[in-house]
Amino acid sequence: MMIRKVSALLVLVAVLSGCAPTPYWTLTDGANKLAKSKSFEMIVPEGWNRTTAPDTWDRLTIDDKVQTILLERMTASRDGTGIHTITVTRRYPDTAFPAIKKKSNANMLPLEAADLYVSDLRKRTGLERLKVLSNKPVTVNGKQAFQLVMEFKNDDGLRTRMVSHGFVDKTGFYTINYRAPTLYYYERDYSDYARLVRSFRQLKEAFDPPPEIPGWAKLFT
Amino acid sequence: MNRIIGLVLTLFIVSGCATTGGVTSFTNAADTSSVRENEGRLWHEAGGFDNTIERSGQIYDDRRATDYLQGVMDRLYPEFKGKIHVRIYDSTQLNAFALPNGSIYFNIGLLARIENEAQLAAVLAHEAAHFIERHSFRQRVSAKNTSAFAVSGIPFSNLAAISSISGFSRDLEREADQKGYERLIKSGYNPLEAHKVFQALANEVRILGIQEPFFFSSHPKLVERIETFKELAAKHKGGGRTGAEEYNRFIQPIRLEALRKDVGQDRFKSVILVMEDQNLRRYYPAAGYYYLGEAYLRRDQKDDTQKALQAFKTTERLAPTYAPTYKRLGMHYMKIGNKGQALQYFNKYLSLASSDAQDRSYVQQYIGSLK
Repeated sequence: MMIRKVSALLVLVAVLSGCAPTPYWTLTDGANKLAKSKSFEMIVPEGWNRTTAPDTWDRLTIDDKVQTILLERMTASRDGTGIHTITVTRRYPDTAFPAIKKKSNANMLPLEAADLYVSDLRKRTGLERLKVLSNKPVTVNGKQAFQLVMEFKNDDGLRTRMVSHGFVDKTGFYTINYRAPTLYYYERDYSDYARLVRSFRQLKEAFDPPPEIPGWAKLFT
Repeated sequence: MNRIIGLVLTLFIVSGCATTGGVTSFTNAADTSSVRENEGRLWHEAGGFDNTIERSGQIYDDRRATDYLQGVMDRLYPEFKGKIHVRIYDSTQLNAFALPNGSIYFNIGLLARIENEAQLAAVLAHEAAHFIERHSFRQRVSAKNTSAFAVSGIPFSNLAAISSISGFSRDLEREADQKGYERLIKSGYNPLEAHKVFQALANEVRILGIQEPFFFSSHPKLVERIETFKELAAKHKGGGRTGAEEYNRFIQPIRLEALRKDVGQDRFKSVILVMEDQNLRRYYPAAGYYYLGEAYLRRDQKDDTQKALQAFKTTERLAPTYAPTYKRLGMHYMKIGNKGQALQYFNKYLSLASSDAQDRSYVQQYIGSLK
């Protein structure tokens, strides 16, 4: 009798959770423009799709070893991630530059963070030919930050441009990144990106202790 | 039935022997116009690979250095002038490779490590021998016969690029060594320089533990290359053109660029290896010490901050007009709270850096915050 009840309960839980899964993507409209992660929030432009909840981990292959690292990341795209994306990421200090195995610290200058970020990006993506077009100091949410504009060409000669705003504080390394083909898309949506950067706010929860890596993730580390 | 099987086997063996045996080497540029059918397809693939490299911006744009390399090639193989094209490939990996259509790519990483023209000629002669002896085509014919590449899972269409970049079979490499070496002597270069370049690369590959699947990074192949060149050198006296001065005049800016890229791609170990070794660093410009300092900061081990500071001070002394040094020294003094020194170095940076230097606005901001 007990076994039957437990089985019925399990089936019920499975069915209910199956009926109402949280969608990975949410279309941003006038009513839900504020996208919130634990450490930050920002206004996403209307008409853009964005991840409903932040990704909290990432798997990377570093020196031929697959590793799971914790982070907070939200992604937005209007026409599809294959075309263009805005990615907002918070990395914790110990894994701030994961591919080059460098940590961040509160004393790091924006210029130092920008140099490490470019190296990390080149190593993480295998894009040796990623070129830095400009690198200048800016402020993001009142903090001293960098603004990098980078570009690379794919094998067919199509140019893709990336702009990244980033800053470091004692809670980690934050980047707001926009990537799009130079042809047509980059200029078209740059103003949406610039608005999103201006709306970025760090939340007080960012100063909570960083989470522990869960047991399941250690299996892949 | 047995007769039919016997006939099929005979045909199979005969056809296998005929295809590999029928490939002869090119003797001059005009000879290459006879390329047809399967080899023509191989050239077509190579042309596509050339286009991809060009389109994706991987050609290192230095006309003077490219012309110099082409000049050395034309001196080695005057009969192939206009058929063998040398280009500089914008990668710091220690590699050079020849495509079946006569395109030869030389990475800036390898150019930076070579000491003189005779060593450059040794590598160019080796790579050109792959083209002249039609090694890509012979390797393809051989692969078709043995199905070796089908087993290893390499798509056949990419074979031209793969074999060219990652190296040929042991026998073909040895043949390229032999033919290249003969040409090196015939062209008046000092043959005793040949093994030195491979010896230096083998040391670097061993110390850094490089495991990239590239010809010059493959340690067993390098060791074999050194042995072959030592055997060949034993039969000849030294003497002939070395061309250290001319080589360094053209390649000096590339050395600095290779160091900059190595730091930017997190290959700081390579920079430290080169710049800490007085034999290796003797051909590098004094501004190379700046990148040694950057490499120490990237490595970030005990005492590396102090070592970096020393390297920046050395650059200040030996290359006093190299602007980035003053930015780094300014940042160092700003971080330890020495405002006066920091301002002095930042101002010096602004006076030396070009008006479009990327870090100029950061330095202006730092000066503003210190005042």
